[in-house]
Amino acid sequence: MFSLLVLVPFLILVAVNLSKKVAPNVACSLTALATLAQAGFVVSLPGTLLKTNNVIFTWLPDFKLAIDEFSIVVLAAIGIVAFVACCVARSTINDPGQRATFMNLLLVALIGMNTTVMLRDIFSIYLFVETIAIISFVLISIDRGRLALEGAFKYLMLSAFATILMLSSIALMLLFSPTLELSGLAEAMSVYPNPILIKLSIGLFLCGLFIKSGLFPFHWWLPDAYSAAHSAASVLLAGIITKVVGVYVLMRLSLSIFGESLHIQAMVMAVGALSIITGAVLAMTQKNFKRMLAYSSISQVGYIILATGVGTPFAFAAAAFHFFNHATFKSLLFVNAASVEKRLGTMDMREMGGLSNRMPATGITSLVGFLSTAGLPPFSGFWSKFMIVLALWAAGKYFYAAFALLASILTLGYMLILQRNVFFGKLKDGLGGVKEVGPGLVIPQLVLAAIIVLVGVCFPFVLNKFIFPVQSIFLK
Amino acid sequence: MMIDLILLSVLLIMVIWTVMAIRLVRSAVGLALTSVVLSILMFRLNASLAAVFELSVCAGLISVIFITTISFTRRMSKSDFKTRRRQRLSKFWPLPLIIIAAAILLFWRHFPSEVIFIRVPAENVRDVLWNTRHIDLFGQVLVLLAGAFGVVALFKENKK
Amino acid sequence: MSILILPIFIPLVAAVLILATRGKPRGLKEALTLVATAATLAISVQLFGKEISFILPWIGHGIDLSLRLDRFSGFIVLFASLFAFLTALYSVVSMRGKDHPKQFYFYLLIILVCTNAAVLANNLIFMLFFWEGILLAIFGMIAIGNKNAFKTATKAFIIVGISDLCMMGGLAITGYLASTLTISQIHLELTPLASIAFVLLMIGAIAKGGSMPFHSWIPSAATDAPLPFMALMPAALEKLLGIYFLSRITLEMFKLSAGSWISITMMTIGAATIILAVMMALVQKEYKRLLSYHAISQVGYMILGIGTCVPAGIIGGIFHMVNNALYKSCLFFTAGSVEKQAGTTDLERLGGLWKQMPITFACFVITALSISGVPPFNGFFSKELIYDGALERGKIFYLAALIGSFFTAASFLKLGHAAFCGKASQENRRVKEAPLGMLVPMAVIAFLCILFGVYNQLPIEKFIQPILGHARLEGHNFSGFPANAWLTLTTIVVLIAALIHHLIAAKAAGSGLKASEHIHHAPVLGTIYQAAERKWFDPYEVGMKVVHIASLLLMAIDRIIDWLYDGFLAGTAFLASRALALLQTGNYVVYIVWSLVSAAVALAFMVK
Repeated sequence: MFSLLVLVPFLILVAVNLSKKVAPNVACSLTALATLAQAGFVVSLPGTLLKTNNVIFTWLPDFKLAIDEFSIVVLAAIGIVAFVACCVARSTINDPGQRATFMNLLLVALIGMNTTVMLRDIFSIYLFVETIAIISFVLISIDRGRLALEGAFKYLMLSAFATILMLSSIALMLLFSPTLELSGLAEAMSVYPNPILIKLSIGLFLCGLFIKSGLFPFHWWLPDAYSAAHSAASVLLAGIITKVVGVYVLMRLSLSIFGESLHIQAMVMAVGALSIITGAVLAMTQKNFKRMLAYSSISQVGYIILATGVGTPFAFAAAAFHFFNHATFKSLLFVNAASVEKRLGTMDMREMGGLSNRMPATGITSLVGFLSTAGLPPFSGFWSKFMIVLALWAAGKYFYAAFALLASILTLGYMLILQRNVFFGKLKDGLGGVKEVGPGLVIPQLVLAAIIVLVGVCFPFVLNKFIFPVQSIFLK
Repeated sequence: MMIDLILLSVLLIMVIWTVMAIRLVRSAVGLALTSVVLSILMFRLNASLAAVFELSVCAGLISVIFITTISFTRRMSKSDFKTRRRQRLSKFWPLPLIIIAAAILLFWRHFPSEVIFIRVPAENVRDVLWNTRHIDLFGQVLVLLAGAFGVVALFKENKK
Repeated sequence: MSILILPIFIPLVAAVLILATRGKPRGLKEALTLVATAATLAISVQLFGKEISFILPWIGHGIDLSLRLDRFSGFIVLFASLFAFLTALYSVVSMRGKDHPKQFYFYLLIILVCTNAAVLANNLIFMLFFWEGILLAIFGMIAIGNKNAFKTATKAFIIVGISDLCMMGGLAITGYLASTLTISQIHLELTPLASIAFVLLMIGAIAKGGSMPFHSWIPSAATDAPLPFMALMPAALEKLLGIYFLSRITLEMFKLSAGSWISITMMTIGAATIILAVMMALVQKEYKRLLSYHAISQVGYMILGIGTCVPAGIIGGIFHMVNNALYKSCLFFTAGSVEKQAGTTDLERLGGLWKQMPITFACFVITALSISGVPPFNGFFSKELIYDGALERGKIFYLAALIGSFFTAASFLKLGHAAFCGKASQENRRVKEAPLGMLVPMAVIAFLCILFGVYNQLPIEKFIQPILGHARLEGHNFSGFPANAWLTLTTIVVLIAALIHHLIAAKAAGSGLKASEHIHHAPVLGTIYQAAERKWFDPYEVGMKVVHIASLLLMAIDRIIDWLYDGFLAGTAFLASRALALLQTGNYVVYIVWSLVSAAVALAFMVK
């Protein structure tokens, strides 16, 4: 069954490209259907299936993929965000050829991400991360604008640096391990006598992942890339791609390899905390809508990393929950940005104001996203942040718990600035003619807002069905 | 072992020359030389197939393509050359410092002298690469696809 | 249901009905109030002398609707109902044409409800509930007065509220120590903790009575609140209630001996209140204000009497409470009549009213003689008993009481002289006698003053001595003419001295009003008076000043904290943001260098 997650997008990709007559819109619809089906499929999986064991299936000889409760959460997020990106692309990319290309790239990225989530081999993971990185370069520069190319180039350069770090790490790993499979690697590490080499190898890989996930002080490419990319691309990139190639992989490694090393945990938590505060502080003075969201993304990813660093099952579950929530509300905010950009043609917040009056759906859904990001009840973001703080406290990290709490005030601060500048208040002169965007953008906004509200309101159900099972990974 | 170390040093020097060269031609030549040294290293490591590929494709084909392309470009003026040379030093001066600092930081107290190398038999490596890593092949297919779509996306209009 | 409920229930129903009335038919409110108070009075007469108790389970945990009627509470209920009835009768005429009659009658009845309930209550919590109810009624009653009334009401509310808080604390400690909340079961030894409880309860009681230093709202209320309120509350019901509770705690709830420091404290408070308040009364130039200071001064006698802890003093204190309630409410009624007929209570503008208002003048003379302690009026007998008790405990207290007596007499001579004698001004010539509805209550009370004096066996033997019981009285009977002839003689000498002083001073100053001016401007006293008139001795005003300064200080601190949050933190955040943004140069080489350095630091941090 799970092979379909890879197979279906691949078949669509082949089908769309084989005949020249397939219109981009058909590709769009097919992709949207596939992504929706993915989200629905993973969410509807019965809990009992997962409780048995990792479902490992051998499709080809040694084509090893595995799935567990954490993968489910990530796969659901991938499905949802890819669907939304699909919708956004359909209504914001006007050139049909370009749209077709975007769809192709999206499908390749979807295959790559789905596979990454199921991989259990560090070299394969590296390879797929690189694959997705290449897709990202193209996605960012798909507009071929000067800024977009610049952003893509910066990402390229820092990504190359990350590649060097990760490759060196894998080389070091081969010094002490005969295999690169995660379980075998962990075994080899546990018997190997030189801890420094192990720490060095893991540390190098982690630094590579920090760059990939855009954590402070490795974030340099991220603001440019997010803000310069096309709207649809930025939704995909900010919503899920960087999260999968950076954050997911880091969490996966923490599960398998470095979960119990105190030094590594301390380092990961420090980087997470640093990202939270600097991302939030930097977001406060941004004048560009998307750039502010980009910095906010750095800050929010910091929360996930901070919780991952704790190393307890509960903290990991909290991190997984925030992963999902961040994917939904950050995508929502980027779709809002896409709507505003479509109508105003600019992302400069100084030229906006009072847009809620003219674009009610966008305004209200952005409010949902804002409240969820800021961690206000009853939205989903509140629960995950609350769980993170609880987990930090329960693990005895009182400083980090207080820090996470206080930093959410900063989040509230910059999100308020954003809302005030863009949506609240009096309508800016000259914006009288602005109208609400069409259903192509309103529908994804409403879908995401509904997911955020539903996850927040039905929190106990979500917690028992999806989040608590994540803890059981630790028992295996 | 000694020869390997010398070769590695030469490789490093070649790489640095490639990166720091001001004229593109010299840079291309540096890249070719790098590939040559790399293929010698591969020969010494019993990876003859890879070495041949490296020598033919990277040192041969790509260098030819590079130099052909560069021949279409305009020559840099003298004054440009001078300013570039000045800028080069100012751009790269922190690099050696950083490398030295990192080395000191990492290996100051614990140079991994007690590193135990786990030796994997040569057949096994080949086996791993070509028989048990189908999934990486799948990944490389994806890389190719991505590259193809990227070229389509980025250069299609230029053809028109 | 017990008949005991009725003194509480009847006025309550009437109060609710009054709230429900609309403007018409006219006189409905008055009629309701009169009927309700008359009915309450009739029932309390019926109840008087009986001993009934009644328990209705309420919240549980020792908090029940528990009522107890004994000699003491029956006696208080009787007089409370009497004063409520007389005040209602008086108000029918005096409140005519005034604002907010509906609220006035409502509050009047509520005060009666609360007083009766608090007096009859046999449960501390139940009593506290109605005790606080009085506070609210006082606030409302004052607030419907003139323009300044709201400020005065707030003042009264805060002062009485603070003392009630003390009482609440005292009740809590008492309940804890006695492990019961039923009043009749509490008999505590004076351990240190119990002493604290006693002092707290005492503060509540004497503050309700209007003793210093909880007095300062009364003179303000005298000028601002509706006049019948003054006759009802500070003059009568509050004294009844406060002294009732003080007697309860002194006689019943705590085992107080004559030598204890608490007794001395009470006597000191009493003596100080007598002298200080009467000195203030002496120099007032406003009818109602002068009376209000006497209302404070007289409570000092009661506290002094009860504080002596000897039978003569206690009997005297309680008897004085009744007498004071009588003549003080009558005096306020005369003030009300004068105000209504002459349009002012400013003594400078009054004069020679005795011709125009002979009945009012007669009532004034009787009650003024009573309050000054002239035989054979009731005030004389109660004061003599208090002197007797005070002398038994220490000459200094007796002396204080005697000085108080001198100045009381002097100030009433001045008041009578200025208001009713002397030359009538032009405008006062046309003043007529007060209407019958106002005269009747005054006449009734004046009659009672004479009756309780001449035939003091009635109140003392019938009402007061049974409260103490035979064991405490040790076989004495305090009724009849004072046994100690020397005391009587001294009192009479003092009174004659006051008369002579007044005559000389009035002649020297040229008018009755200015008979006290030489005291007002005496070397040391003058300074003190000036300070007092600037309200330097008013705990409320001083407290308010302190609060004001404190609030300014807190405001400053608040501003600083506000700045810390609003200016400093936000400013720092924005500065940090700008500074961090400087790192984002756009040069990818710099970015790579930064990443390299970060990676090195991270690895070094991890590997160590």
